[in-house]
Amino acid sequence: MLATIPSATLLGVEGRQVAVEVHVSSGLPGFTLVGHPDPVCREARDRVRAALLSSGLPWPMKRVTVNLAPGMLRKVGPGLDLPIAVGLLVATGQLEPEAVAGCAFLGELGLDGSLRRVPGIVPLVGALEARAVVVPMECVAEAAVVGRVRVRAAGRLSELVSCLRGHDPWPDPPPPPTVDGPPPPPRPDLADVRGQPVGRVALEISAAGGHHLLLSGPPGAGKTMLARRLPGLLPPLEGDDALAATTIRSAAGQALPPAGLVVDPPFRAPHHGASAVALIGGGTAWMRPGEISQAHLGVLFLDEMAEFPRMVLDALRQPLEEGVVRVSRARASVTFPARFLLVGATNPCPCGEAGPEGRCRCTDGARNRYHQRLSGPLLDRFDLRVVVARPDVADLLGGAAGESTAVVAARVAAARERARSRGVACNAQLPASVLDQVAPLAPSALAVLEHQLRVGALSGRGLHRVRRVARTIADLAGAGTLIDEHHVCLALGLRADVVPVEVAA
Amino acid sequence: MTGPAREPAAGMAPGLPAEAYAAALAGLPAMGHRRLVAALRRWSPEEAWRHVVGGRADEDPGLADLWCSAAAEVDVDGLWRRHLHAGAGLLWFGSSGYPGVLADDHQPPGVLFHRGDPSALAGRRVGIVGTRQCTRYGREMAHELGRDLAASGVRVVSGLAAGVDGAAHAGALAAGAAPPIAVVGSGVDVVYPRRNSQLWADVAEAGLLLSEAPLGAAPEAWRFPVRNRVIAALSEVVVVVESHARGGSKYTVEAAADRSRTVMAVPGSVRSPASAYTNALLADGCAPARDATDILVALGLSTAGPGPAPADSRPAPGPVEAGVLGALGWEPASLEGVVLRCGLTPGETMVALSHLQRDGWATTRHGWWERCAHG
Repeated sequence: MLATIPSATLLGVEGRQVAVEVHVSSGLPGFTLVGHPDPVCREARDRVRAALLSSGLPWPMKRVTVNLAPGMLRKVGPGLDLPIAVGLLVATGQLEPEAVAGCAFLGELGLDGSLRRVPGIVPLVGALEARAVVVPMECVAEAAVVGRVRVRAAGRLSELVSCLRGHDPWPDPPPPPTVDGPPPPPRPDLADVRGQPVGRVALEISAAGGHHLLLSGPPGAGKTMLARRLPGLLPPLEGDDALAATTIRSAAGQALPPAGLVVDPPFRAPHHGASAVALIGGGTAWMRPGEISQAHLGVLFLDEMAEFPRMVLDALRQPLEEGVVRVSRARASVTFPARFLLVGATNPCPCGEAGPEGRCRCTDGARNRYHQRLSGPLLDRFDLRVVVARPDVADLLGGAAGESTAVVAARVAAARERARSRGVACNAQLPASVLDQVAPLAPSALAVLEHQLRVGALSGRGLHRVRRVARTIADLAGAGTLIDEHHVCLALGLRADVVPVEVAA
Repeated sequence: MTGPAREPAAGMAPGLPAEAYAAALAGLPAMGHRRLVAALRRWSPEEAWRHVVGGRADEDPGLADLWCSAAAEVDVDGLWRRHLHAGAGLLWFGSSGYPGVLADDHQPPGVLFHRGDPSALAGRRVGIVGTRQCTRYGREMAHELGRDLAASGVRVVSGLAAGVDGAAHAGALAAGAAPPIAVVGSGVDVVYPRRNSQLWADVAEAGLLLSEAPLGAAPEAWRFPVRNRVIAALSEVVVVVESHARGGSKYTVEAAADRSRTVMAVPGSVRSPASAYTNALLADGCAPARDATDILVALGLSTAGPGPAPADSRPAPGPVEAGVLGALGWEPASLEGVVLRCGLTPGETMVALSHLQRDGWATTRHGWWERCAHG
């Protein structure tokens, strides 16, 4: 007898439909699994057999063939355990075909017959065409994010079978997990930052315009402290953006917030030991989204940026430009979304003290090697490059608290709203062709830019970037269409050549 | 005497100048300036080379053997042609052109390779030295002192390194008067640091480039303190512009003190680490060098100085700009520092700074703002 059960598998951050076909016939007892399973998926046979027997269900002494269609698609992970078990029960006549009609199944089986969560429930459920889906009890909130599909939950295979047979009602989904343990720490607030007026302004502009930000300064200047306050300034994710962020986090196998949907912009801070694959995505076992995709619509923070291998950093250039990253491997080629706000922090030299005071004790060679990690094209992608100096002692100890995150976030939201009225999510995405129209320059502003171009301090591409940043500054100030000298000067001042080719000459 | 007497090496062709043999001697291993001077006190360069080739150049048989086997590899004729090709000449201890001030020194160099005209040494000489990692202030002071001294006919002696040394030479060249004298640590054909290559060429063209190191010698760290004693010996006054507490200028100052040369120091901010050593020198009783006149007085030259500086042609800053310029002060400051000091918003500060930059009152470098002394 033949049974076909709909299910899905992961490819990158997308789900792909899989039809699990189970054929049971007379012949020498045996179990064959075909259809390009990966090693984990291939082990389903032993898990399914033990789970059936533990649940008091007989294992057929017949010839069983399981095919996972389409055959070309590689099936990853243990999520097909449950559909294989259900298909087997239908094919052996232990379940009526009508009982499972229109219902898809996702989940890993334990040897005791329990259902376990699998990564990527959001994209997997999103890919299904079935009316209903059965998922492990722990995944209900995650599966419900999709909304379109009716979600049923089961804790154990035996319970599931009796529900499908109509003996028992479907169990209620578990209540949203109560807060056990300490509440999540509050997000860092901008009010904690004392002094640092320029760093705060740069942070605000970066959040409002989506401009990549590079902070350079000695150890202890507060680079990391500033960067960690950036996600709080970004507006919460809505609609498709929230679903996209949720999908990626689910596909990366990470826990979702209790409400299911990811609304806080993600903040990823990979260590500088991260490999190119960890940052970009890919991997041998399955195509996993990398750090840059997990930071999609949020912030990717690279602390100690010059400590990253240069190859890893240069791999960021194409995603920064296109907002997606295409990972091609022998087995598959996957496109991951990767539209993130890049925040880099670096010391000016290995000892961290390089600067005009002449405190640096590094050798010329060590300093040059350090700076060569940051290639010119990568540095060029940072619209905002700011030197952060150690704050004044008086500011640290006394000093009035600055504006709080809430106040600044309100201005950022208003500025983003103005950017949206121009048809882009943020000003960093303004095409050069519309700059004259949306960011016309006042004569005084034009004079400043002309002088900068004439002395060679600004290139043609740099000019466009300065104009976009100036547009954001004007938006934050609530100014009109015309870009003023103030806006241009501040944009130029936040564009320092922070990484010197030579410090002392 | 070890072993049978050897045939003269192939390079012992007749008609080679004494300089060729001096160059060959200087290139021998373990041939420091003391041994070289000792040999040249006893013999002419040609005789000394003959002793080396014969294995009789030193009482220590190990050293004599070492030199003997090294000399067998040397083609004196080819070596000398390489010098001629590189435009390098040579002064050896005892030769007629050898500077008298060095001949009387207690640690004279055995040979001095040179590019340029050795007659540049004739005249009053002042050494200007300092750190490679100088501040803008140090660079400007070195440049001004070099320029004004050269304009008064004083030869500027320095090391052509990055930072203060190079700035002093650049200043001396800018005056276009007295020729600059550079004593370098590497071979005269090995430019170090590379970014100073134009300055090397200009100094060799307008003045004199000296080195104790043979042609092709790399800028090894031990050569620089040794080189510093030559700078001290050649200078009547040594001026330290900027130096960290443990900088290499200390060697020059100690060598100058050994030779009873006057040491002067340019005062700096007590907060600037780059002025730590110069300020310590002043505290120890060194005379301050505030400008070229101070140095000219120390030399006993006219106190008239180089004349008044040309009038400032920069447009006067406006009231806001003047306030920001005052807040900027004379030490480098980050934009943040200026903003905090002048009390304006970052945007207003940047407008003022960009006006100051346009008019030449301030300049920015790697995210730091600095005030310019002159346009």
